[in-house]
Amino acid sequence: MSNIKGKVLKHGTQTRTMHWVHLIAFTILGLTGIAFYWNIDIIGNIFGGFANASLIHRWAGVVFTVGPALYILLNFDRFSRFIDTISNFSKEDFQWLKVMGGYIPFIKVDEAPPQDKYNAGQKMLGWMIIFGCILIILTGFPMWLWRHSLPAAFLGFCYDIHFWTAMIMILLVGGHFFLAAIHPKSRVEFSSMMLDGYIDAEISAHHNAKWFAELKEAD
Amino acid sequence: MSTVLTQGIINVTSDCRACDHCTSICPTGAISGLLGQRHKIDHNLCINCGQCLINCPFGRIEDASMVDLVKKALADPSKFVIVQEAPAVRVALGEEFGLEPGTNVKNKMYAALRRLGFKKVYDTEFTADLTIMEEGTELIGRVYGALGVKGYENKGPLPQFTSCCPAWIKYAEDKYPKIIPYLSTAKSPQQMFGAISKTYLPTKLNVNPANIYSVSVMPCTAKKAECNRPEFISSGYQDVDAVITTRELAALIKEKGIDFNKLPAEEADKFIGASTGAATIFGVSGGVMEAALRTAYEILSGSTLDEVDLKAVRGLQSVREASVEIPVKALGKALPVNVAIVTGTKHVDKLIEDVLAGRSKYHFIEVMNCPGGCINGGGQPIRREMH
Repeated sequence: MSNIKGKVLKHGTQTRTMHWVHLIAFTILGLTGIAFYWNIDIIGNIFGGFANASLIHRWAGVVFTVGPALYILLNFDRFSRFIDTISNFSKEDFQWLKVMGGYIPFIKVDEAPPQDKYNAGQKMLGWMIIFGCILIILTGFPMWLWRHSLPAAFLGFCYDIHFWTAMIMILLVGGHFFLAAIHPKSRVEFSSMMLDGYIDAEISAHHNAKWFAELKEAD
Repeated sequence: MSTVLTQGIINVTSDCRACDHCTSICPTGAISGLLGQRHKIDHNLCINCGQCLINCPFGRIEDASMVDLVKKALADPSKFVIVQEAPAVRVALGEEFGLEPGTNVKNKMYAALRRLGFKKVYDTEFTADLTIMEEGTELIGRVYGALGVKGYENKGPLPQFTSCCPAWIKYAEDKYPKIIPYLSTAKSPQQMFGAISKTYLPTKLNVNPANIYSVSVMPCTAKKAECNRPEFISSGYQDVDAVITTRELAALIKEKGIDFNKLPAEEADKFIGASTGAATIFGVSGGVMEAALRTAYEILSGSTLDEVDLKAVRGLQSVREASVEIPVKALGKALPVNVAIVTGTKHVDKLIEDVLAGRSKYHFIEVMNCPGGCINGGGQPIRREMH
């Protein structure tokens, strides 16, 4: 039995709010986008037909853009630390990736290498989500606002980039959801990001040992 | 029976990506649908120009095809299948075979058409010359009429509009029926060819006109509707039986396994295969105007136009104008002829409104629907990066 007791705050209120906003916007965007691409009437009708679904898609896109932008502006230090953390790939991160953090059943691991506040997988996901969002935003707004003036070839290019980036992001977010909410080893993360922001100190000490050590040191 | 007239020439496919790009391309507002919603074309409003088709980023707009009709006729030994090709086809067809845009492949095109089975390969340039002479002399008649010269009182009002672009003609008929008396009465080169192919030509070739199947290769999708207009039966038969586009000709050549680039250079068949340089520039915006002005100049002045700069009528601006002094031998004085060239039907409204209000300064107005003229027609090879 571990002697580490109590909880630590992992995600602040604004971070959790931004995550919720982005999650809801992304879900709406993903559903409506899939409906457009494959012409799925059932999904289109849920949103009041394809024209309305498109309108909802575009304004959800605005929320998808403005939500994180506001968060970054209001929490620039926190965002900088986040970028700093996910940019820093240490020897332990590469070792963690070699054993896939112990999440893959056929890779036997006694103890995963110590990790920062975000493990190596989360760091990679963070960058992929950031780049994916940028691509989706940079192609989405021209598809909406300049659809009449853009050359056909460029508009088609925007659609292709938008679609394939969205597909990759849906798969990434699906994997993220599985690990954060379903996988028995890590689902404790769910309540931390989606509810009160706290996580058991013992779990942090185990999953994010380097970060926990920093917290203890600061304490 | 469904025909191109009942089904429309241009249609959005069922897998439209609903990007809404086409609604800004359409000059008549015939395409409806909001962003995200499958678009539809109102065939009453559509002028069949095909600009939406070549500008659709996803290739989800199609034109009705008469290729099967042509194949059937070519396979029928009782049919005498002849073909004409518009000036703009020869400078675009090569693109489908990897050649630089603008490469003139007319001699290979003639060879390819013979190998496809056409009994006679003619050229629309011959009737483009006829159209120019017809429109030029008609303009002279109208100018004389306006000047009060006896015998020309009922030649029609000024300005005279060109009549060779079927998309523009449908636009005028649909939106401005009062402008119809101002349109040249000359048929388009395609339809002039169709008429003589079943009247004059059979007498020269000793062929029963009932057995002639007249095909035209055009850079234009609106020509498909034009050939089906019920009034084009001068010969007692449908003057032009089928129209295929430059794209469709290229597809036929590929389907037949013809190595286009290795074809020998051949000439068009005679009788109606000859033409002048005036016909060649017909497919470019300003070309009809330039050719007709040169013709009118020569007829009115009695001398050949050598060094008169008509470059003002060329170019890519949507509306261009020029004034040309033409010495009229019969009147013993020079007349200024004011002309305008419109490329893109959506730009013609103001000029028409001025004409109908009696305040137009022009004598002759050329209108072509497609940007730059027939060379950018809806039936040409699709190069989306160029649009």
